[in-house]
Amino acid sequence: MEAASIPAGPPASQRIKQLIGTYGLTAVLLLLPVIFAINDLSEQGNLVRLGENLVAGLSNGAIWALVAIGYTLVYGIVELINFAHGEIFMIGSFISASLIGTLGLTVDSSFIPVFFGLLVALVVAMIGSGTLNVLIERVAYRPLRNAPKLAPLITAVGMSFILQNVGLLWKGGNQQGVPDLLDAQKTLVTVFGVTIEHADLLSIVVTVPLLIVMTTFINRSRLGKAMRATAQDPEAARLQGINVDTTISLTFLLGGMLAGAAGLIYAMYQTTIWFFQGFTGGLIAFTAAVMGGIGNLRGAVLGGLIIGCIQQMSDNRLGSEWTPAIVFSYLVLIMVFKPSGLLGEQTRDAG
Amino acid sequence: MGVAACGDEDEPATGGGNSGDQTAEGKSLTVFSSLPLQGASRVQTEALVNGAKLALEQAGGKAGAHTIKYESLDDSTAQAGSWTPEAESANALKAAQDESTAVYIGAFNSGASKVSIPILSEAGVPQISPANTYVGLTTNDPGSEPGEPDKYYPTGDRTYTRIVPKDTIQAAALVTLMKQDGCTKVAMTNDKEVYGAGLARVIELSAKEQGLTLTSNDAIDKNASNYRSLAQKAKAAGADCFIYSGITANNAVQQFKDFAAALGSDAGLYGPDGVAETGFVSEKDGGIPASLNKQVKVTVATLSPDQYPPEGQEFFKQFTEKYGVSNPDPYAIYGYEAMKLALDAIERSGDGSKEKIKEALFATKDRSSVLGTYSIDENGDTTLTDYGAYGVENGELKFDQTIKAQAQG
Repeated sequence: MEAASIPAGPPASQRIKQLIGTYGLTAVLLLLPVIFAINDLSEQGNLVRLGENLVAGLSNGAIWALVAIGYTLVYGIVELINFAHGEIFMIGSFISASLIGTLGLTVDSSFIPVFFGLLVALVVAMIGSGTLNVLIERVAYRPLRNAPKLAPLITAVGMSFILQNVGLLWKGGNQQGVPDLLDAQKTLVTVFGVTIEHADLLSIVVTVPLLIVMTTFINRSRLGKAMRATAQDPEAARLQGINVDTTISLTFLLGGMLAGAAGLIYAMYQTTIWFFQGFTGGLIAFTAAVMGGIGNLRGAVLGGLIIGCIQQMSDNRLGSEWTPAIVFSYLVLIMVFKPSGLLGEQTRDAG
Repeated sequence: MGVAACGDEDEPATGGGNSGDQTAEGKSLTVFSSLPLQGASRVQTEALVNGAKLALEQAGGKAGAHTIKYESLDDSTAQAGSWTPEAESANALKAAQDESTAVYIGAFNSGASKVSIPILSEAGVPQISPANTYVGLTTNDPGSEPGEPDKYYPTGDRTYTRIVPKDTIQAAALVTLMKQDGCTKVAMTNDKEVYGAGLARVIELSAKEQGLTLTSNDAIDKNASNYRSLAQKAKAAGADCFIYSGITANNAVQQFKDFAAALGSDAGLYGPDGVAETGFVSEKDGGIPASLNKQVKVTVATLSPDQYPPEGQEFFKQFTEKYGVSNPDPYAIYGYEAMKLALDAIERSGDGSKEKIKEALFATKDRSSVLGTYSIDENGDTTLTDYGAYGVENGELKFDQTIKAQAQG
């Protein structure tokens, strides 16, 4: 028999590389949950603890997802990391908290005023944050659209600090309490031993419809198509009669509105707000956007939810001092296996 | 109430001349204080400053033959909402370089004193802290870190004293209080700062000695949005009480909310003097919700006015008259006593030199004061040991009982 007639398979090292390439990412994502699941089953005989970690993680992650969409929308269309976006989220919280105070809502208020009060707060926070984001784009980013990329980037950092100081002057340097109108940590229902709290429901009830509306708007509406066209090729979009400036403004408006909504949920969920929440929250949301694949809406949501779950599992089992390190280790590993992020798409920069 | 600001100066009531000038009557000397005048501790530090001003005013701006000027410095920033190493070190350098400096009152936070002690020690400036409790600043007792306290005194010359009992006493008091309240398993968090982490270590030791089970001692991330997972972990471990070892500015309120929600309305929630302040107990000032008031207890080395000797009770009357506050903050009396001790040491020093003032400070024995009779030992610690346990009522600290805890081990 001639050796040449035997089809030679790839060497073992290459096969291992292929396996890692194919399943490595999945293994990385499932590493902690699987370890903890085995641990829980062997020690407690059930998965209640892991279930509670995941529920808390998903509701926390939903807030990060709303903020992350703002980052990814803006990056997708103008390829700018809008570092001020976290502070827009903080301003959304401050607007909500101030309005709740103005409307006189307290923990003793009955359901109807609380419901309509929060609805008003949601609308005002969304409009306020959206408008602020549009103004920032008009004043600080648009004049630099054709400047070297570092110029708008550093301007965004500058806007971030300016807004942070606005927050500092507005509410002071300490955390401020917000009335716990929804009994945020009261158990709503217990499913298979896993408690679901009011705050978890709030987070999902506000986030999911907003995400559906947002994705439908971008996929189906005329303006959404204009946004996608502008994201793909601004010059070609302009030649097709799309008003690129208006489309970009609209993108900032939508991103800001989502950040405003996230601000309200955050205020109700944590019942504490402070001027620095935009910096830390923005960093987490930006990480979520990158992890999911910046420029991709579904990726931002996925990234937000994953980070929420990692944070909760780490806080609960490894110690909160390790959480930032664990989150960023995950990010690094995901980037190693998939540099464009979990659902990453090609951007104009990436080619 | 007078509000002290950065660089606020109280001019001497009498005398004059340039800083450090020798006059026929004595020298013109300056007492500096360095406290966080912004952020969650603002109310306490304002009370400290006002207490110090009252003491100086009552002394007519004099200490023996010397004329005293008081300058209140701020070691916090609005951005941080608490003390910063940069601000504390700048204040210490200012005092160290000023020839007229007689005494440095401060710092409020143990971490800040860790920064200022070496600078002041090198310059030979006597220091009196009205609030520090961290063990390692003065001793190598259990709870301190390797190399402490010697590494803070590069010349080997001790210059630092304090008039509040150290954390060995506070930890014992907290554990005594928790046991007394029926806690069996306690979840603990600390803020990773010098004070918070140090006190947590001493609480661990004290709990072990007194037979109280600690289910955890988690170092928290002060920037975390919430601590629900930690609280759930505590619940799963069967904790029936929670104690936080740290300061208000490091997200204390969120922790108490989350642990209260997880452990239930019967759980006791405890904090040390780092949270014994309006920014923590008053809901309208960003503190814990009123619904938690009945669950929270804190310890602070201040007793109820009626528990003090007659001099102490008289102080509270005078303070109320002067500043128009019906319920003076617990720290007011420490500001007052820190200044009184400083003036007394300056007077006893004779020539008003830093070296002699320092010697006089460490020679303080059986001093009859508003806090009671105490001495300063060779480490710079007070011999006072009583801690007050406070509850919270209508957003204000309300004295509950005196705990005569003795340091263990």
